[in-house]
Amino acid sequence: MKLMHTKLPEFIRKMQQAVGLAKPEKTIQIRGLENLHSAKLQSLRTGRIEEAVAEIAGREDVEHVELVVVPRVPETMHTVLVKGKNADGETTKIILEVINIIHPTEEVEFDGCRDIDDRRPKLGLH
Amino acid sequence: MKYLMIPEGIIDEKIIPVTVVFLDKADIEAAGISQDEAIRRVGAEFTGPVAINVFDREAVTTTSDGVMVEGAIVRMGAADGGIVNKEFGILPMAEIPYSEERIAAEPHLLQWKKLFPGRKLFRGPNPADKLIPVHNVVISGRASNNNSATEMMNILTMEELIFPILGQLECINDGDVLVGYTGEHISVGIGMTVAEQFGRVFPHPQFHAGSTAHGSGPYAKTLKQTIPCIVCDKKVIAARTIRALQCGCVPARELGCSPVVLSVARALGSEIAYDRIQPTAQLELDSVGCTREWMMEKLNLTTEEIIARADELLPGVNDAKKHKASELVQVRELNI
Repeated sequence: MKLMHTKLPEFIRKMQQAVGLAKPEKTIQIRGLENLHSAKLQSLRTGRIEEAVAEIAGREDVEHVELVVVPRVPETMHTVLVKGKNADGETTKIILEVINIIHPTEEVEFDGCRDIDDRRPKLGLH
Repeated sequence: MKYLMIPEGIIDEKIIPVTVVFLDKADIEAAGISQDEAIRRVGAEFTGPVAINVFDREAVTTTSDGVMVEGAIVRMGAADGGIVNKEFGILPMAEIPYSEERIAAEPHLLQWKKLFPGRKLFRGPNPADKLIPVHNVVISGRASNNNSATEMMNILTMEELIFPILGQLECINDGDVLVGYTGEHISVGIGMTVAEQFGRVFPHPQFHAGSTAHGSGPYAKTLKQTIPCIVCDKKVIAARTIRALQCGCVPARELGCSPVVLSVARALGSEIAYDRIQPTAQLELDSVGCTREWMMEKLNLTTEEIIARADELLPGVNDAKKHKASELVQVRELNI
């Protein structure tokens, strides 16, 4: 089971490698993971995304790859911790609250392109 | 197929962040297509963000504070770049079956029984119709059509429009609307809901008449304060609220205790269930001057006087300018 999820730095390295293998001079920019410092990513999908990156990078009409990660569910629910700390930096009181955040869906990244191959499984079968 | 629209842009220096489209269920049926297809076809007409609301003029609905009105949104959509998101871009509103048990559970529906017998009732969606639990919202790209199609946003610019059901109904019925900023009274009033199954904001009965969904004390009045809004002429909401009060509904008992509902009851001199107003709700009402003492000053005006003096008697909307709906709404035709 230890192989079921990929470390964040490894995910990023794998994607960079996938582009480099297609053609070393091609480049990749990864967006949408900037706020994550420590995360485990689904290994099965990591492999499929590596394949997709290699496929896109291998196209003759592609010089640069953008890998953009956006929330698939466009309203995400988050717990908010309001923490009070004393002069010594010890936490003395916490209030838990909740906030829903609305995000744009994937269409904002389409850039007018109509050749879209949607390989996502249906929600519920993901 | 005919449709009505208010284009994205500026009205009276207020930002309208998305194009708003009104479709009539009867026009869609006459065109021989489904409501989903109609939403997709209209969405494809625009390159920018669009909120698309399908109305059934024969059905009835409720305002968030429990006043019943004729004309209901039965399906909501959002489109951007000509595309309706296939997972989150369309949601139907749930038809509420009539029963005596439903009237007992939601006493503001006394109006349904007395005033609108036999008419279909829609408010918000059934959570079972959603792919995954989200708010009562549809989203495509930048376009968000929220709170069962009464708050529209461009998620990238983060600009928002409050467009309550009565304002929308005035637009499709060629009435009068106010364009302004939402202000403190409406900000507080939005939280003074009634508890409903498949409600406009909440999917299950949660905040009963007399309570506040906000529960944020003096901050409640600031929540929507600076957001542009298109609302009905105050004469319209005064008349609808008077009708609900005369039907036997009482603020904080059957109806939500919003500043508008309280103002009409105070002007009419009708009963207000003061003791049912929860302290958290009263705190928010106090912050906009709707104190217990203010409520007790009965004006005992006639209905005609209240409607004639609605602009003076009813609070809400800053920097408001009155428009004929026809000044804002364009009529378009779509070839099917």
